[in-house]
Order: sequence, then C-alpha cells, then structure tokens
Amino acid sequence: MTDELLKAATRALNEETADDGGDGRFTRARVMASLHQGTVKRRTRLAFILPIAACLAAGTAWGAATGRLPAVFHAIGQVVGYTSKPSEPKRAPGKLASPKATPTTEQQAPPPAEPVTPEAAPVVEAKPDPGKAEPAPSARPTPLLSSSAAFQDADGDLYRLAHEAHFASHDYARALTGWDAYLKAAPGGRLATEARYNRAICLLRLGRDAEARRALEPFASGMMGYRQSEARQLLDELSQ
Amino acid sequence: MNIGGLVLSPTAPLEDASPDEQDLVARLVAADPAAVGEVYDQHHRSVRAFASRLVGDAAAAEDLVHEVFVALPRAMRGYRFESSLRTFLISIAVNHARHHVRSATRRRAAIGRLALEPEGNSADPEQIQRRKELASLLTRALDTLPLEQRVTFVLCEVEERTSREVSEITGVPEGTVRTRLHHAKKKLREELSQEGLG
Repeated sequence: MTDELLKAATRALNEETADDGGDGRFTRARVMASLHQGTVKRRTRLAFILPIAACLAAGTAWGAATGRLPAVFHAIGQVVGYTSKPSEPKRAPGKLASPKATPTTEQQAPPPAEPVTPEAAPVVEAKPDPGKAEPAPSARPTPLLSSSAAFQDADGDLYRLAHEAHFASHDYARALTGWDAYLKAAPGGRLATEARYNRAICLLRLGRDAEARRALEPFASGMMGYRQSEARQLLDELSQ
Repeated sequence: MNIGGLVLSPTAPLEDASPDEQDLVARLVAADPAAVGEVYDQHHRSVRAFASRLVGDAAAAEDLVHEVFVALPRAMRGYRFESSLRTFLISIAVNHARHHVRSATRRRAAIGRLALEPEGNSADPEQIQRRKELASLLTRALDTLPLEQRVTFVLCEVEERTSREVSEITGVPEGTVRTRLHHAKKKLREELSQEGLG
C-alpha cells in the first residue's frame, strides 16, 4: 500500500512540476542582469586593482632599489600602531624608575644606551667623564637594520660619520652637525627617527635645553613610536 | 545522447566535439551573455522542472535556476564534453541546491506550523486536487531526507533517469546511487506511513 502511494506521489510530483506554464522570461532577465553586473564588476575591479597593483609593485621595486623600503615599513608600522621596536639593550632595573639619578649614579652604572638614558640631561652641566658616561659599544642604540645594511646607501655615510662623532669621539657639536646633515639629506630615511633622537641628545649634551625640549617632545608624546618613556623622563629632568 | 538542441555524446572527448559546440563552450567560458541566453532558452525548462522537484517550492526553484545559469560560465571551465550540457546544468543545480533546499524546507515547516498551507483552486477537478495533495505530501516527506538521498530520489524516481546518468550528475559511483535510492525509498515509505496514508 505504501509502495503504491509512494509511486502515486512520485508520479504526482512529476506531473505537477512537468511544466509550470511559465516561459521563464523573468528569470532569464535576472540571469542576464546578473551576468552584466558581474562583467561590470570584473571591469571595475580590473580598472582599479591593476593600476594600484602596478603602483605597489613599482613602489616596492623602487624602495628596494634605493634601500628605503624598511623605512617605509617602519613608518607604516608607526601609523598603524605596530612598531617593531629596535632591539634595545637591557637596562639595569630601576634605572628608568629613577630619572633623578645623579651623575655619580650614572658613573657607577653606565647607561647601556647613551642616547636613551634619562640621566643624560643633568649630565650636561656636570660634564662627566665621557668615557664613563658613554655606554659600551655593544650597548649602543641599535639601528633598525644591521650597520652593514644601514650604510649601503649614500645617506649611510652621513649617518656613520654622525654616529662616530657621537658615540666614538663624543664630540657632540660635530655629531649634531652630522645628524643635521643626515636629516637634511634623508628626512624620511630609514634611520631618520634614530637620527632625530640622537640629535636631541646632542642638544642636551650641549646645553641647548630649549631646543632639546622641542626635539624630544615628539618622542615623549609617542608620535614617533620610539623611546617614548626615555624622552619623557628626559623632559621631566629638563623641567626641574 | 540527444538532449535539447545540443547533441553531445556522453563520452565524447574534447577533440570529438563539433566546432559549433566548442565555440559555444568557449563563448560560455568567456561569460558571453548571448551564449548563456542561448543555453537558457534550450534548457531552462528541464532545469526548472528539476529544481521544482528537488526544492518543492516554485520561488526557491526560480532562484536556483537563476543561480545555475549565472554560475554556468565559471562552471564551464571544467566542462570536458563528457556529458550533455543539460546533464551538466543539472549537476550545477545539484551543487547549488543545498542552501535552497534548506530554506524551502524551513519555509514549508513554518507554513505548516501556522496552518498557512495555500488551499487548492476549488475550480480544479478533484483529480487535480488529489495530485496536488500527493505532490505536496511527497515534498514534505522529501524534507526529511539528507540532501544526497533527496537528489538521488528526485533524479531516479521523479525524473526517471538511469543510474548511470545520475552517477554522472552527482559524481558518485552507480552502486552508491542505488544505495542512496534504496535508503531514500525506505525512509519515504516510513514517512508516508506516519502520515497515516500507508
């Protein structure tokens, strides 16, 4: 009985749906409209994406050729709030927590990275022994790139000269000139952020507090995404 | 195999296809609207009939037909003249049916709960009314089947296709087709018995 019913129902469904009487014109129009829309979308995509892709490829090639690509990535990282912080040497615990540390303290425990030590500010007047105040070469601020990679472009020479004057010769006046020269040559260079920070430190060392304060403010505000806490502590020191 | 306007051997390799067929397929792959329109005019009735039988809902069937022909150009990239174009269209419908079957099933269940089942036309003769009721009954019973069994039952029993053709459409061996059909029929008999009509 159920078998017969199933057969009858199957037959009924077949006959019911054999011909719906419609000619499908409405659905045909829908299909054609969808296809047209798809074609338009594809063309629009091509019209927009191809030039963008070409610009991106050309820009990347140019950046790679001129060595500016890492700086661009760094800048993008700063904008989106993700910055691969340059490898900072480990500092003694409590150093940052005591921005009012005296020059004596600095001499006892030399800062690992001279440009970032908050103690650097008060040291200007005290004129501590540069040999003691400066960090060990291995603890100096590490640029975003390895030094060999950093100095491959023309601007790299200026950076290297300024770096030597600052960290090897401790000639802050010459270093300041060097940082200025580098920043003039490569204001958007891949090491520009570090150069700006080091320039601010030179100004501090030279006792040009007002200029140093102006130079440190962008770092202290976090705008530069680099050495924010150190810059803030240096500003605190200057304001006291 | 001679189906519609396109005569294609089910096992004809690509090189055996006529230039016209190859040209049509090339135009379809290029999403040429005229080619899609041509195929639509030739095959929309059979695709719509299958869609109606499978989903049991005219509106959902129209949506499925629309989807099949919109997807046709992209799907044609995999077409190798191994089956008729109509069979290929049915296989596209099978691949796109899941969502439509599910939504049509939900809609039917809701209508059943709210007792909103549309009444038949009183002007129809009694026999037509009885046929509608039976078709509706079977559609509701089909809602209880897994999609694979439902597709197999509709293709084999309602559309009366051979197991070989169903195998081509669904992409499973003929043995699997027969197994699915067996389970589908068993479950449908149970469903009809529960309705008190067995």
